[in-house]
Amino acid sequence: MTFNPLEQRGIPLDRQLRSWRELNVDPIDPDHCDPYTRCRVIAMNGIEVEAIMFSHQLARNTVAPEVKQQLARTRYIEAQQQKVVNWLLPGVASVLETTIAYEQVAVDLTAWVARMEPDPQLKQAYQFGVLEDFDHLYRYANLYEMIEHRKAESIVEGLTEVMPGRPTRLHHRDPVDNVRRPYARDETHPLSKLHALTIMAAEQQTMNFYMNTGPTYMEPIARQLYQEIGLIEEEHVTHYESLVDPGETWWEQLVNHEYNECYLYYSFMEQESDPKVRAIWELHLNMELEHLHLACDLMRRHDGREPESVLASELPDVLTFEPNKRYVRELLDTQLDLTTLGTGYVRDAHERFEQMQEQIHGGEAPPSDRVMVEHGAMFGREYRVQTEGDHPDPSQREK
Amino acid sequence: MSELTTPHAGDDHAADTDVVSLLMRQHGDIRNLFDEVEAADGEERRDAFRRLVRLLAVHETAEEEVVHPFARRGLTGGRQVVEERLAEEKAAKETLAELDDYDTDDPKFIPQLLKLRKDVQEHARAEERYEFTHIRRSTDSANLAAMAKAVKAAEAMAPTRPHPGVESGTANMAIGPLAALMDRTKDAVRKAMDTG
Repeated sequence: MTFNPLEQRGIPLDRQLRSWRELNVDPIDPDHCDPYTRCRVIAMNGIEVEAIMFSHQLARNTVAPEVKQQLARTRYIEAQQQKVVNWLLPGVASVLETTIAYEQVAVDLTAWVARMEPDPQLKQAYQFGVLEDFDHLYRYANLYEMIEHRKAESIVEGLTEVMPGRPTRLHHRDPVDNVRRPYARDETHPLSKLHALTIMAAEQQTMNFYMNTGPTYMEPIARQLYQEIGLIEEEHVTHYESLVDPGETWWEQLVNHEYNECYLYYSFMEQESDPKVRAIWELHLNMELEHLHLACDLMRRHDGREPESVLASELPDVLTFEPNKRYVRELLDTQLDLTTLGTGYVRDAHERFEQMQEQIHGGEAPPSDRVMVEHGAMFGREYRVQTEGDHPDPSQREK
Repeated sequence: MSELTTPHAGDDHAADTDVVSLLMRQHGDIRNLFDEVEAADGEERRDAFRRLVRLLAVHETAEEEVVHPFARRGLTGGRQVVEERLAEEKAAKETLAELDDYDTDDPKFIPQLLKLRKDVQEHARAEERYEFTHIRRSTDSANLAAMAKAVKAAEAMAPTRPHPGVESGTANMAIGPLAALMDRTKDAVRKAMDTG
């Protein structure tokens, strides 16, 4: 398809402000929605949150008042977009059911990006990470059944499997080993930049969500599990943000952000099954096109470079939410026992890893293991959704 | 699709020493039954719907007898919170009564069921957020346990899952004697509260 956002004009910025009535969107129905509609909402919220926070950081590093004012204008619209997108989530959903949807996003978004990523080093980074999100989904699914007597299947609806990934207790690495090597901004495929930005934003939003909602639970095991997985999200943000070339200028980064938003709204518009939600993706795409043009102007003015020099000439194939079961199973079969050492990956537990493990676990079972014990005591079994047969790794099959 | 069945609250191996956890799991059980009714048809739907109605009746009666009175007496602003919950329950019961007029295969049944489901789900979350949190905060573990015991007594009185040998009796029970079921539940709860 040939959609070049640089050649399209959107809605002029001074006509983008929405009133309360327009912001007051109808939420999706948690019991009957397309699970991937909910995934798109959660993913897009993460993208908008990143857009807002990035713009704030840029403003804090900007001296010229008129540039600060322009950033503020666009950012206010981005903040409205975030409100509209995230308010599509229904008030009747519990934090835990939204959490399971967050993990479904992490699994299917990261797996899809890993499949499509052209750069082998970046691909490896996504393959490594997705096996951890996959295990988080499994732990939260067991907690969900304990607290609400609901099955994660009512959320993921068989599109994503629920079973052990790389065991969560092994995700706690020395922070130094979470820093990867970045892509080179002048050599990497433009698609790789979009992938890195997308996954970084999604994981960052997950980190923010767990760090803020975790303590709203009263059940000790729930509080502790959110604390544990929340700390792994910190590791994941470190992992993914270090993929982005820090040599990109602020303005170049701004352009990449706006371009990525166009890419994702366009992608989601193309595949959305819910007409009301689709209308939002379309409207927001038309807003983002204008944000992109404004960002391009800033880059030309401040960097003296053409944005075309850092962007793809047309949008890549749409980013798609779809089942990745076979792909995830392949990874489970081949990469379960990996950990990181420096900027690379190894199969053996090394000294720095062992030291971190010893210190953080303090000789006790972590919450992610205890949730399974407590679930077992309550139901006499685990909770899993294995639509494609037994776990590929015999040691991870239910006893 | 997995074959796993989640047992109803009271039938799992939870300690059930906290009325709030117990009722929250029961909210999930009710939501599961709505799923079941929607997914089934014919005799299976009829059966699932009867189980749903029984569980709703027992659950709401137990709440009205155990937790609402406590909230009304024990919480600051409790009277207002409970009035709002009772209004929601009344609305849900009216929808339920209308639903009773249809056969489960009637084309009007599912739209009406979805309306009930929405009311019930909103009511359940409102209880969890505006009533249950305050109950946990304002009482001790002994009282939470005593209230849990009373709720369980209500269930024992009116089993909501067919027990061996009584399936046909359950299946044949129309929604008609619902009021009688609620009365029996009330008696059971009151007895448990007195002896607890």
